[in-house]
Amino acid sequence: MVGGALLIGATVAVLGGCLLLVVTVVVVRAARHSRTRRDQMLLSPLRAPLITVASGEDDDGSAAEQLTWATGVSRTVLDGNIVQLLTKIRGVPAEQLVRVLEVHGAVEAAVADLTHRSSVRRARAAQLLGLAQAGHTVPLLVEALRDESVEVRNSAAYALGLIGDAAAAGPVLAAIGLPDRGLPAATAAEALQSMGVGISEVLREGLGDENARTRMVAAHLSGQRSFTRGLPELRHLLDHDTDLTVRETCAAAIGRLGRGEDAAVLARHTLADEPLSLRRACVQALGELGDEGAVPTLAVLLDDPDPRLAELAASALIELGPEGSGALSGHEDDPAVRSARLMASLQKASA
Amino acid sequence: MSWDGIAPGLRSFVVWAMDVSSVPILVYFVLINSSLLLIILLAYLEFRAQQRRRATAVSWQGAGLAPGVSLLVPAYNEEAGIVMAVKSFLTLRYPRHEVVVVDDGSSDETFARLEAAFDLVQVPRELPHEIPVRATVLGIFVPRDGRTRLVVVRKENSGRSEAINVAINAASEPLVAMIDGDSILEPDGLLHVTRPFADDPTRMVATGGAIRPVNGSRVVSGRIVRVEMPQTWIPRIQLVEYLRAFLLGRTGWSRLGGLILISGAFGLFRRDVVVEVGGLDPGSIGEDFELVMRIHKRMRDQGRDYKVEFVPEPVSWTEVPVTAKVLRNQRRRWHRGLWETLWAYRGMLFRRKYGRVGWVALPYYWLFELIAPLLELFGILIVPLALVLGVVNVPFAILFLVLAYGYAVLVTLSAMVVDEWAFHKHDRWRAIWQTIAASVLENIGYRQATVWWRLEGWWSSLRGKKHVWGVMTRTGFDEGAP
Repeated sequence: MVGGALLIGATVAVLGGCLLLVVTVVVVRAARHSRTRRDQMLLSPLRAPLITVASGEDDDGSAAEQLTWATGVSRTVLDGNIVQLLTKIRGVPAEQLVRVLEVHGAVEAAVADLTHRSSVRRARAAQLLGLAQAGHTVPLLVEALRDESVEVRNSAAYALGLIGDAAAAGPVLAAIGLPDRGLPAATAAEALQSMGVGISEVLREGLGDENARTRMVAAHLSGQRSFTRGLPELRHLLDHDTDLTVRETCAAAIGRLGRGEDAAVLARHTLADEPLSLRRACVQALGELGDEGAVPTLAVLLDDPDPRLAELAASALIELGPEGSGALSGHEDDPAVRSARLMASLQKASA
Repeated sequence: MSWDGIAPGLRSFVVWAMDVSSVPILVYFVLINSSLLLIILLAYLEFRAQQRRRATAVSWQGAGLAPGVSLLVPAYNEEAGIVMAVKSFLTLRYPRHEVVVVDDGSSDETFARLEAAFDLVQVPRELPHEIPVRATVLGIFVPRDGRTRLVVVRKENSGRSEAINVAINAASEPLVAMIDGDSILEPDGLLHVTRPFADDPTRMVATGGAIRPVNGSRVVSGRIVRVEMPQTWIPRIQLVEYLRAFLLGRTGWSRLGGLILISGAFGLFRRDVVVEVGGLDPGSIGEDFELVMRIHKRMRDQGRDYKVEFVPEPVSWTEVPVTAKVLRNQRRRWHRGLWETLWAYRGMLFRRKYGRVGWVALPYYWLFELIAPLLELFGILIVPLALVLGVVNVPFAILFLVLAYGYAVLVTLSAMVVDEWAFHKHDRWRAIWQTIAASVLENIGYRQATVWWRLEGWWSSLRGKKHVWGVMTRTGFDEGAP
């Protein structure tokens, strides 16, 4: 009897749940359609001036002025669209749109929203401050890098990247390795890339961080931006880091910004007792470095049992010019050399 | 012997069988449904987080830390669509990727079409032997323009796994994506699925993306221009299976840190890790599952800090079987692969060093994926027999069936809510009703047939029968294809 009642109860609950979910699907879709229609309707009278401003054709500022008159829900919808546009446009149109946001009080509201209990509101607020280039909010955004929500940390780093204040580089880099609240490395790297040359010392210090992701980002950016200040640390990490990804990144960075003496540093890690991926990274870096001191090392590698390494070495020698090409003599029939020469000729022909 | 003679004995047997099995089956029923509820809950939590991330997403074009990707495309007799597929892969939005096609000894015009379309020239290159392969490589080709990042390798026919292993050897980027030649990737699919590697470059070793059936959708030149429901019920029902598997199953497991299955139709791996574990096992039927298990085992044996993640964004679209014959072959293969891999890695069960994989994910797959069809078959046989013999309370039996299948529908509808909330790929209202209908119809015939096919696959493995790969008949879907 009890079993029967339980079975009936469970069946009713499951079928009721099914019905509820069907209703939910319908409501979610209907609500989305309705919201889209409402937004389009509210925005339609403002679309023309918005396009005029965004396309840089608002010479007398009248269209921007018209946008500042929006009120209520229309203003909210318009501000959302302006934020979207600010991710795509620069220059005077962007400044005019930021001015509209300021008149609407959106920038001021965003500062207040940085402490809102909703993580979505906090994240959007941070993004808006970045898009509005609100330099005075850098300390607040730096604080937001330690937010409990990863979306907020991401958005704060994105905003700091847009503002481009090098003073924020240290906190951004340090945020990568925060225990349990780490900033995603990709976001940090993109933000740091926008901060100009003032971050070279921060990157150099980052190469000594205890977190492998932080070291990797610092090494990668040092190479990308050709910050030679960190070269001694890059060499040290290439020799001693416990993380293979960091070592490979250091090799690539040294290849980009290294000096003649770095050929020997890279050459040490092309030896057969090193991991194959690191050896390949070092051979490519030797090619990138372009120093003739690498020729003897690369010439030896033409006989390496790994065909890719041999081909990379041959390609690097070809890139080194006559002296490098000279080292290929005696290896003309090697598949690695023939392949490297063919690839070089195809690329040259298409250039 | 007459029915009257058999009936009493049969009735006694059925009564005995039901007596003996009722408690274990009830416990199993409660366990499987509770675990499904838990996975739904985990998936919900993950989607809530994903939804927050999506609502606050900032544009990321992969600059900076985006690792290079080699798309590995094994091709066997794919002359109809290979050129279009390669062109669409080459034009994906991603800062650095190459396409490596391995023509696995096709007997049709697969290579000739590629050669003509990309003006291929042979390169006297030797491939590295980082992953040992048995088949002979016949030649390596690149486009004459020197710019297009395409490598075509011709080899003797030796199967998909070996073709992918050859492609890994030929790949030059740090990440490798295994992808079927007939799959369609979302234009931003690579950006989505590589993001975890860029965010956590030192720990991430593999990611899987969500896969959806492309049947019925409008495809032009390797791009989906309108998502539509499949036109027949077999693929429609598979669509709800895919929704469940990817939007609830994989998402929930990923949240739990126990993702052990990345679909072969699209998976992204660190190349050095795949090389380190020896590539795909050509002798395995469930080679993709086996690879992920081997990676987990290797990482945990070495005590390495690593991550395997699922990316719920739709990444890849694939053509699913439209006939029962092809579907049967696929399900037999899947279940056989599941059994063989679970058996091969039984040593990881309940071992401390394998963490959630050994304590949660593997036991779940043993209990609720492998054994489930066996118990379901028992129910399919015993319940009608009990009804015929009058040894069971009819309203009670019907109610139990409604509850069991109603629960299955509930799980599917949960996935539908997630899909509608987060992705809403299907515009038309009709798609909602068709999906709901498919989730109900799945329980009438389809589910019972797949139970049988899965057991066939398991049985053939236990008997040591050699697996024969069936031919996946492609109906073709690309309006832009020649």
